[in-house]
Amino acid sequence: MITPAVPKSWYLPTKPHKFCPGCGHGIVLKALGEVIDELEIQDQTIFGCDIGCSLLSWDFFACDSTQTHHGRTIPVMVGIKRSRPELITIGYMGDGGGYSIGSQHLLNSAVRNEKVTLILVNNTNYGMTGGQMAPTTLPGQKTETSPYGRDPETTGYPTKGPEFLAEVTSEGAYVARATVSKYKQLKRFLKNALRNQIEGNGFSFVEVLSTCPTNWRTNAQQTWHFLEDEMEPYFPVGELKSPFSKGGDK
Amino acid sequence: MLKVVDETKKAFLTGNETIAWAALAAGADIMFGYPITPQNEVMHYWTRLAPRYGREFLQTEDEISAGFTVCGAVQAGKKAFTATAGPGNVLMQEPFGMAEAMRLPLFAIIQQRGGPSSGTVIYSQQEVALTTYGGNGEGYRIVYSSASHQEIYDYTIKGFNMAWKYRWPTFLLGDGYQAKMREPLEMYDPEEKGIKIEPTYPLVGLPGKIGEDREPQHLCNIYSLEEELYDVVMKLSAEYESIAPEIIEWQEHHCEDADIIILTHGIVSRAADDAVKALRAQGIKAGYFRPITLRPYPAQQLRDAIAKSGAKTLLVAESSYGQFERLTKQEIYGETIKMEHLYMPGVGIIDYDIISKVKSVL
Amino acid sequence: MIEAYVGEYASGKSEMAINRALELKSEGRQVTLVDLDTVEPFYTLRPIKERLEQEGLDVIGLSSSDSFGLGETGAMLVPAARWALRRAGDIILDIGYGVYGARTLNLVEGAETSDELRVIAVINYSRPMTGSKSRIIEYINELGRVDALVANTHLGDETTPEIIEKGTRVILECADELGIPVDYIAVENRFAKEWNPDLFSVPVKWITRYMPAAIW
Repeated sequence: MITPAVPKSWYLPTKPHKFCPGCGHGIVLKALGEVIDELEIQDQTIFGCDIGCSLLSWDFFACDSTQTHHGRTIPVMVGIKRSRPELITIGYMGDGGGYSIGSQHLLNSAVRNEKVTLILVNNTNYGMTGGQMAPTTLPGQKTETSPYGRDPETTGYPTKGPEFLAEVTSEGAYVARATVSKYKQLKRFLKNALRNQIEGNGFSFVEVLSTCPTNWRTNAQQTWHFLEDEMEPYFPVGELKSPFSKGGDK
Repeated sequence: MLKVVDETKKAFLTGNETIAWAALAAGADIMFGYPITPQNEVMHYWTRLAPRYGREFLQTEDEISAGFTVCGAVQAGKKAFTATAGPGNVLMQEPFGMAEAMRLPLFAIIQQRGGPSSGTVIYSQQEVALTTYGGNGEGYRIVYSSASHQEIYDYTIKGFNMAWKYRWPTFLLGDGYQAKMREPLEMYDPEEKGIKIEPTYPLVGLPGKIGEDREPQHLCNIYSLEEELYDVVMKLSAEYESIAPEIIEWQEHHCEDADIIILTHGIVSRAADDAVKALRAQGIKAGYFRPITLRPYPAQQLRDAIAKSGAKTLLVAESSYGQFERLTKQEIYGETIKMEHLYMPGVGIIDYDIISKVKSVL
Repeated sequence: MIEAYVGEYASGKSEMAINRALELKSEGRQVTLVDLDTVEPFYTLRPIKERLEQEGLDVIGLSSSDSFGLGETGAMLVPAARWALRRAGDIILDIGYGVYGARTLNLVEGAETSDELRVIAVINYSRPMTGSKSRIIEYINELGRVDALVANTHLGDETTPEIIEKGTRVILECADELGIPVDYIAVENRFAKEWNPDLFSVPVKWITRYMPAAIW
């Protein structure tokens, strides 16, 4: 029997995990687990998750974990980090939690350069509640609350989180956008975002473009097409701000 | 304008969908909402239907925003509403408080889910305290607790009307079961039933030239002196109390000779109704009392039912841990009837549960 | 035999899927019933999954007890559902509602290339979204691929033969206009004595309602 290689920091009693087939969360959490292992921070990591599909990670890691309210993971992580700076705090959320209901916390924690690491999974919809429009829903994309397609005239254009965070953060911040279609790059960005916290440089944020075949109603090919040919051109992948490299990594 | 219900007929609906249709039939202009289970289909159906009838929708960034955009829209003279649940109801207490203070005709549907915190997305009656007395105020609200899809339809239409007639924030308190259940109801055009649709009017953006035709509107909810606020609150209280008798609604039966009165609200009253019938068939004199308005509460009516029946016991059954009983106790303070309770927080109550409890306390 | 039941929210998709699966089972066939309801899992097969398994069906989907501890709605797709068409025997797919209609079938590997698959739209004339001829036609056109209809007009406990008859008449007119066959008229078996099976040229299927027991 071949034992699949899973990160040491994964909590095996809750595996296989509960995400839908084809969902990108598993890829992000695998990359994150490997990075936690490589940085040897499992014992001092506090993993916080939001409401929405991201909450299915509440017992995912063999790390101390806490599940919060919709949009409130960021202030809970800030509270932990401010109280115990030696801990490594990872806030894990979706696009609705980060860019919508928790957007004031995202903006203000970035402005204050809070030394937390935030990972935001962008799959262009509210998955857990059944596929409603999210801040990141693409123009024309159908969801349960944009049944005739998202109309930018009345609902604006998709939120570009890393772009606005790069503007408001100060020296020492790390801001990047990754995608589950480029695993090595995703891992490198997550590692940089955690290194940045470990070194105490400042706020660290990675948006990860991800897949949601269940709510997109797509087969494997269509899922990959939507990610690579619709989402990635709209949301450019790369490091927008990094203390580690001047000019960023595209 | 295209008619929403062109023929009065029975239809088969879910509760959330019923709200969307009733809001259309009541002439609602715009819904503001944010995804939260178990109210999502109110938005799903509103967004599908609204464009056909020239109505509007905005998905806001959170529930705080959904509540305040409703406050803005009603000040602009539009019939606006929102729907939420659980943690969303918590966030909306801030705008609901503003609506109380400023007498804004806000209408909101609350589909209770389990609590505290994120709780469950399924069902409870744990948002009674929050919906009746949430916020930093005195609970100047009208709260209808529905028990069937027909009532959801009727009280959604009535809720808009009461909000605009009396200008208190008005709520339809449902729950996750009612949201998702499906049952027949009669859909109708309210005006064809002789229900007068209350007119809407703006509080700001009034016609006329300021200084010539009219004075400017200065709406506010903050005061510099204690005495100022005291006067405001005393005036609000007096006005709320004076209209309360016109608003109070309740249901009772078999209370005339009851030994035990079963007190429930919302969907649990369906179980109570069945339980009373079954107990009566077994020779146990049980009575049924149900406040339809939890705020204002039918306190005198309940006192009267206790008095005329001579009942020895009042059994409160609720899918929460005493919120409804506490509300009742403060309303009927001084009654000496023995109180018993069946608390089943976050889970459904069926007739069997109530019958067993009655037998254990008699 | 591969059938996918699609249609409006609360139109009776799950009810038709269960009844069809049990009917095939009673003929001695091997049957798998697949729960593809993903827009919030209420009134799905979950609460009655174990009961259906006792009746001999293979059921792919979560049961209520499986979803214990998932938190929130647990609106997830069971991985086995993705590969349901690789199974032997008859496959009955219960497709949830949603703005994407029959496109949910994209989630099932091999659905688009299967020549056995029939997509069947369940229509209840008592549902407001499909409560008139024009609304039914508009609705079916939005659904995407539809190979056949099932006429499932009812009003829950308040159903009468007159209600079924009126709804069926309208649904048959729509089917005619759209050129889509009607597989059967679903009539609850409590009307067995009152209902004239020859009233329409389309066959009647006597059904039992399981879903009222399936809230959450």
